[in-house]
Amino acid sequence: MDRAVIAVSDLYKIYRVGENRVRALDGVSFQVRRGEFCSIVGTSGSGKSTLLNMLAGLEKPTKGKIIIAGEHIEKKSENQLVAFRRKHIGFVFQSFNLMPSMNALENVALPLTFQGIDKKKRLEMAAEVLDLVGLSSHKNHKPTQMSGGQQQRVGIARALVVSPEIIFADEPTGNLDSRTSAEVMELIREIITKKNQTLVMVTHDDHLASFADRIFRIMDGRIIGIEETGRRKTT
Amino acid sequence: MKLRDMLRMSASSLWKRKIRTVLTVLGVVIGTASIVVMISLGLGLKRASLEEIEQYGGLTSVTVMEKDAFDMDASDAGGQKKKQATQHLDDKVLDTIRQVDHVEYAYPVLEAEAMILYGGYQCYTTLRGMPAESMEYLKLNLGQGSLPKPGDEQLSLVFGNGIIGDFYNEKTGQSYWSDGKLPDIDLMESPLMYVLDTENYYNFLWGGSGEEGSTAAMPKKYMFPTSGVLAGSVEDYNSNSYAVWCDLEALKKVLKKEFRNRSIPGQPTSASGKPMKEIFYNSIMVGVDDMDHVKEVQNTISQLGYSAESNAEWVESMQGQYQSIQLALGGIGAVSLLVAAIGIANTMMMSIYERTREIGIMKVLGCDMKNIQGMFLLEAGYIGLIGGLIGTGVSYGLSAVINTLMSTEGSGIDLAAASGISYIPGWLSLLAIGFAVIVGMVAGFFPSLRAMRLSPLAAIRNE
Repeated sequence: MDRAVIAVSDLYKIYRVGENRVRALDGVSFQVRRGEFCSIVGTSGSGKSTLLNMLAGLEKPTKGKIIIAGEHIEKKSENQLVAFRRKHIGFVFQSFNLMPSMNALENVALPLTFQGIDKKKRLEMAAEVLDLVGLSSHKNHKPTQMSGGQQQRVGIARALVVSPEIIFADEPTGNLDSRTSAEVMELIREIITKKNQTLVMVTHDDHLASFADRIFRIMDGRIIGIEETGRRKTT
Repeated sequence: MKLRDMLRMSASSLWKRKIRTVLTVLGVVIGTASIVVMISLGLGLKRASLEEIEQYGGLTSVTVMEKDAFDMDASDAGGQKKKQATQHLDDKVLDTIRQVDHVEYAYPVLEAEAMILYGGYQCYTTLRGMPAESMEYLKLNLGQGSLPKPGDEQLSLVFGNGIIGDFYNEKTGQSYWSDGKLPDIDLMESPLMYVLDTENYYNFLWGGSGEEGSTAAMPKKYMFPTSGVLAGSVEDYNSNSYAVWCDLEALKKVLKKEFRNRSIPGQPTSASGKPMKEIFYNSIMVGVDDMDHVKEVQNTISQLGYSAESNAEWVESMQGQYQSIQLALGGIGAVSLLVAAIGIANTMMMSIYERTREIGIMKVLGCDMKNIQGMFLLEAGYIGLIGGLIGTGVSYGLSAVINTLMSTEGSGIDLAAASGISYIPGWLSLLAIGFAVIVGMVAGFFPSLRAMRLSPLAAIRNE
């Protein structure tokens, strides 16, 4: 068994809404193994997005520990978190979040820019990943000239280009129709399996969740069930 | 993140918002141009005034004279004793002065009164004898002829361009300044006669009228050739216009001949009233290497016991005055740059609100916070730089317009108009551009801080 690449223990997030305290996360503990594809499934307001934000270091937990790739996330300053994400994490957004003024190639190369990689080198790397997601012919297209599915492929390429250990995906197919969604999910699965990368995906859709190796069901800030889908090939 | 990439991204985000960028830059253009033009006016005035001082005898020259015996008596009760100690100017003093720090050159001047006579006209003037080899320091602008050669036996003279106006008709007393007619004298060619013993010449004239009753004889007349005349009309004034120069040694020789066994007018006499053996100088002209050292040299020479005069105090008070004018003018200009700075801050804030999501995405993708701040600072700096560059260009144009307007309106006498009332030196334009960039960055600092602190969660929120 691979060692846990993500270890969450006793995680709480409490928001104050007026007089009331809302427990977005109410004592969550779990582990994710390296190379595993996990889905976090829950309804709107269940706390699944909060959990993902905290794993990616975008939000601070009220209490609890998060260890990712051997590092304590909850103790890091914002600047350290940025550096951590730059090195270890890829992120796929629901609404793609591509830079509208840049073409597909430049969008994919953007995280490499932040790493200080030369223009020539980073464009080469970006082109390679775009080939991988099947967008060889759309490298010079602006986001507005592409369909939703194509845009999300660019988004996935952007997350993959830095070869992260862990990829977080927030409703990656939320803005896509069901046929495109299935295609995108197959693509993601294929690539991360090939590269032995860990993927944590948040979704409200049971069908999409079933693409994963394991499904965490979350409700009212608690994990209410963990299912093995048996898709994972045991080697 | 590489600086080149940051520069590129900042430039492209300005390019994306062209109209807003142009408007913001316009503010900086106006601000920079107004500062530069205002300061250029101050600088132009200052330069014109320095040029004016230059006309009145130079910025770096010190005139050394004997300390006036009368001053000594007044300042000291034991005047009699001091009077004997009055130091006359001779070659020894000249050598001492040449040793003083920052003194570039020093030459003696011997003055002799003379009456110039020609064809019913006469002119009372002072001949200034100085070593012919030092005449280059005067930077004379000769219109005709040449300077006397060093070692010339024959006394020859160089006339200032205004001297011709000093000739007056013996009978009518009219001169150029009273009737506007130049006397029919060619200073170069006409045989001019000189009377050096002017006192006896007047005695002779008065004697002729019978008032004195003495038997003063007409003193000897000499004829000296003219070696050169300065360029310029009789009305062009500068410190050399009304001077007559000749070689020192030649003048000494003529004076010794004329006043053999008599005291030379203007020269000191011994206690018994006898003439001294030596001929002393009336003054020593000292050239200082830099305007800033004039005061120092002047003080050193004063401490040696001589009277030293220069334009240093005049220049100092003038400079102080123009410095305050410049500050006031620059301040007026600075107000418009301040307004431009507020414009930059406003534009940057707008831009950050618009790009909240973009900034969030960059943070999620791992863009360093310092880089985010840097990009916004650079953007503001770009606005300053472009505005500063264009603004400086505009200032040169405005400066040219002001100068042409002033020179066509003002008459030729106006000294300020001669070299332009607005003057932009290279350092001013560089300073203005640098200042505009700094103003831009300062204005962009708080917006950039805000951009840096924006939450990455903004990128996650789904619309």
